[in-house]
Parts: sequence; structure tokens; C-alpha cells
Amino acid sequence: MDLTVFAQQIANGLVNGMAYVLIATGLTLVFGVLRIVNFAHGEFYMLGAYLTYFVGTLAGVDYITAVAIAAVLVAGLGIAANKLIFWPLRRDHEFTILLSSLGLALLVANGGELLFGADPKYVSSPFADEIVDIGTVTLTQQRALIFIAAVLALVAVYLFIQYSRFGKMMRATAQNPDGAALTGINIGLVHTYTFALACGLAALSGALVGPTVMIFPTIGNWAVLKGFIVVIMGGLGSIQGALFAGLLLGVIESLGGGYISLGFMEAIGYAMIIAVLLWRPSGLFSTARGLR
Amino acid sequence: MNNQIVTLGAVLALGTLPFLAGNAYLEHLLVLWMLYALLALSLNIIIGYLGELSFGHAAFVGVGAYASAIVSTQLGVPPLLGLPLAAAAAALFGLVIGYAALRVVGPQFAILTLGFGSILYTVTNHWVDLTRGPMGISNIPPLSLGPVTFTGARETYYLVFALVLAVAYLCHALVTSRTGRAFIAVRENAPLAASLGIDVFRTKLLGFVAATAIAGVGGAIYAHYIKVITPDVMGVHNVAALIIIVIIGGRGTIVGPILGALVYIGLLESLRVAGPLRMVIFAALLTGTVVFLPGGLVSLWHRWRGGPRAASDATAPAGSLPTAEGGAK
Repeated sequence: MDLTVFAQQIANGLVNGMAYVLIATGLTLVFGVLRIVNFAHGEFYMLGAYLTYFVGTLAGVDYITAVAIAAVLVAGLGIAANKLIFWPLRRDHEFTILLSSLGLALLVANGGELLFGADPKYVSSPFADEIVDIGTVTLTQQRALIFIAAVLALVAVYLFIQYSRFGKMMRATAQNPDGAALTGINIGLVHTYTFALACGLAALSGALVGPTVMIFPTIGNWAVLKGFIVVIMGGLGSIQGALFAGLLLGVIESLGGGYISLGFMEAIGYAMIIAVLLWRPSGLFSTARGLR
Repeated sequence: MNNQIVTLGAVLALGTLPFLAGNAYLEHLLVLWMLYALLALSLNIIIGYLGELSFGHAAFVGVGAYASAIVSTQLGVPPLLGLPLAAAAAALFGLVIGYAALRVVGPQFAILTLGFGSILYTVTNHWVDLTRGPMGISNIPPLSLGPVTFTGARETYYLVFALVLAVAYLCHALVTSRTGRAFIAVRENAPLAASLGIDVFRTKLLGFVAATAIAGVGGAIYAHYIKVITPDVMGVHNVAALIIIVIIGGRGTIVGPILGALVYIGLLESLRVAGPLRMVIFAALLTGTVVFLPGGLVSLWHRWRGGPRAASDATAPAGSLPTAEGGAK
């Protein structure tokens, strides 16, 4: 086995994996705190990529600013979605919540097709054509940026949840919403901002990955599926699980694509969750309830 | 007694529909209605009776369609033999996938079935030697039974209609049988059902495999009727369509999925000019139904017939789902 190629595959896998981790962290946060399995999560990824495109081309601002604006705008849309759909339904059965999130996903994806058109678009980024060499590994600057930005975002989220006052409120709500409410925590506020944070992370992922691929309104499907695989494999509600499983999925897909078959690359990822779930039905880092 | 007369009348009315349709286009729509009713009835066994949400049902439709299409185009097997083969193939996949996925419940099950569905879709799309990939299989011979060849819409309508009746009767018989009561018990409260000696896993697996087998037959008929099959039949679009039909019509009922299929096909065709807006409308309908009319369209009838009190009784199977599964975790 050629070691250079192998190292390159691993690096590619880690970059892809980091994007999955960003998507999955939002999913797992929303599940941990709000107890929602959000099928519409991928749509916020799609919106992140599209808003970056529109802000970048129409408003003419540079790429990094466009990414930031897109993430904030999508977080705002997340607040609206939570207020209109998920907050009123919070006491309903999980069946209802699951189905309404599916409804929202279809609504946004097809609404996106209506608004943005079905033809693929290219997000332009000044980093897309430049490369960096790290030892024997070569990456485009954009892909290096995905990795670095994702790591920074995840560290920030981790520190925020672990040490900030609001992060403690989030963890308290995740552990026991009624108990948290009794100690005076505003559950509505926690739900709103957790959902917004999750949507912002999804949008960030979409905005970062956007310049490396073509974007079209149905990429949300793809994103939510990857996110789900990661979250299920890592254990619903666990951030460490999402990190580990996301990187693992990225690397395995990359190696599978390189050494077995590109076409079946996707199927390899799915086959992986099944293997994991047969062994541990609730995921590698399962949490019975709450964030860890 | 009254119910039987209504049912008989409905069956007779549906039986004469192709003669009233008058043109080939409407007859074609009737076939699609019945096909989707058949598929929705099978999904309803999982959603309505087992109380689990499957996001991979369209994959089994595709497995049946491809199984029958492949054996009839490449091996020259008579298409009619393809139907039981399609059922067997879909049931086999259902058995394996159900065996893995039914270990988890609720959202995890939904996500797992979505993953399995995606595997089947990806494999179908890339295994070009067997499935011809995105090009699909064309020139699939029509079904034939002795002297009758099911090329036209009218014959196919009666074939699918007969199957819908059979499956509807099966569901009816199931609900009143010991097995069906076990299904409901598992749906309402799995630990309690287990404590009464019901094997929860096997009960669910039985329902899941039966549902996938029916989906396989539906897919096979679809393939032989349309004559072309592509991986799209297994796509997310079709998954969503089937769920929308079951939920809008009314889960856990027999009339619900049939009615839902009528609404779906009817809106799909009458809004053809609207393009992508159609799915937006369906998504809004789905969300609206889930929130405001959990029992689906069928519960409207009960509401209208018996006022609010009877409505809550009549929709009990569907309406009581919410409280039920909370205890089943």
C-alpha cells in the first residue's frame, strides 16, 4: 500500500468527517436539549450554502463575511422555525414532532427549489483554487479552512456549553426540563437559542463545504442523512459521540472510496451504522438522557 | 349491518369507476390511485398498527419492482410468476432489515429505516450490471394471466383493485384476530404486552415483513404496468409520498390510506401546472394534518357523524397513539 496515497485518503476523510461533525453536533444538541429528532436539520445546511452564495454574489461582500452573515441569518430562521412549529408541539408525542419536522424539511427543500431554481450553483471562494502542503498531504485551502473553522467552532461550542452560564442552563434543561424550570431557568429561551445554535452550525457547515461542491436545493437530504448516521452511531445526545463517529465515518468513506469503489462509498457509511447498531443498539456513546 | 351495506356500496362504486372514467387518462389515474392505495395500506401496517414510522418503505417497493422486472426481462420468467417472486424478494429484505432495525424504537427506527432505504437506493443506482443504474430497466413485459394480458389501464385497475380489497380484508381480519390484537398491544404499551407473554420483537417483525411483501407486489405491478423502472421509485420523494398518504388519510384505519391515495393522486395531477409548488403544498398539508387533525381525513367523517364525543371514541386508535408510546419507551 502506498503510504502517501493512504495519508492523503486519511486527510480527505478527516476534512469530510469534520463537516459531518458540524452537522451532527447541531442535531445532537437539538435532540439532547429539545428532545426533537429534526429531519429538517439538513435544510439549514442547504440554506447556509445558498445564503452564502446569494450574499456573496448579490451583495458583493467577501467570502468570510458572507459565511458569517449566512450563519447568523440561518440561526434567525431557526428561531422562527422553533417558535412556529417545535415550541407549540413540545408536549406532543415524538411521532407528531418527527412528522412535522419531515413536513418542514419538505417545505424548505421544495420551497428552496421554487425560490432558487433547481439548477446547480457554485459558491465562489478565494480559497477554492489555492493549495496547501502539509508534509506529503496536499489539500486545497478551502478544505483546510473547513477543518480549521470546524475545529474552532466545535471548541467554542464545547467551552460555551461547559463553562458559560447559558451552557449550564442548556445542560440542566437536557437533564431534566421540569427541574430546570423549577430552579428558574427560562426553558423557552434555552430551547430557542439551542435551536438557533444548531441551525447556525448546520449553516456554517453548508457555507464551508459549499465552495468544494455544486449546490442544489436537495443537498439538505444528503446532509441530514449524514448527520443522522453520525448521531445514531455516536449515540443520540452525545457530542463526543458525534465527534468520534463523524471523523470515523469520514475516514472510512474516504478509504472505502479510494480502495473499494467510489460508487458504493455512500453505502459503506450506511453499512457501518448497521454494524455498530447490531453491536450497540443505542450507539457508541449513548446517553440515556441529556448532554454529556 | 349498516357498515356492511356501506362497504358493499363503496366496493361496487369503485368497481364501476373505470366505465365512468370515459378516457384513458382518467383510467390511468385510477390505476395509480389503486397502486398507491395498495402501497399505503402496506405502510399503514407499520405506521398504524405497529406504531413505528418507517422512512424506508419505498425501497421495498423498488426491490419488488426490480426483482420482477429483472427476472422477466433477463430470464424470461412469465411476469405473473414475477409477482410472488417480488413478494418473496421484498419480504426477504424486510426480514433482514427488520431484524436489524426493529431492535430500536421511535426516532432511531425511523432514521435506521431511512439509512437502509438509502443503501438500497445507492446500490440500485450503482450496480449497473444488474439494474442498469440510473438508466433504469425498460421494455418490461406486461402481466398476463392465461388469455388476459394486463396491458391497458382498465385490466390493471381491476387487478390492483382486487389486491387492495384483499389487503384491506386482510387488515380487517388482522385487527380482529389474536395476532392483530397483539400488534395493537405492542403499539400501545410494549413492556405491558411483553409482560402478557407477547413476543414484542417477533410480533413487530411479522408485521414489518408482511408490509414489505405487499409493498414488493405493489412495486412489481407498477413496473409491469408502467414498463419502465428507474431507481427514483426508491427515492426520498416516494418515501415522503407514502407517509403523506397514510397520515393525511388517517393512520391505523383501512379507509384512510385509500382516501389518502385519492387525495394525493388527485392533487398531484390537478396541480401539475404548479410544478415544485406541489410538494410545498403536500408538505404543508402533512404538517397541518399532524398538528390539527391527528386522525387524518377519516376522523373528519367520525366527527361529522357523531359530534365531538363520538369523534374522540372513533379515532381512539390513532388519537391515543401519543400517550401510548411515551409509556412504551
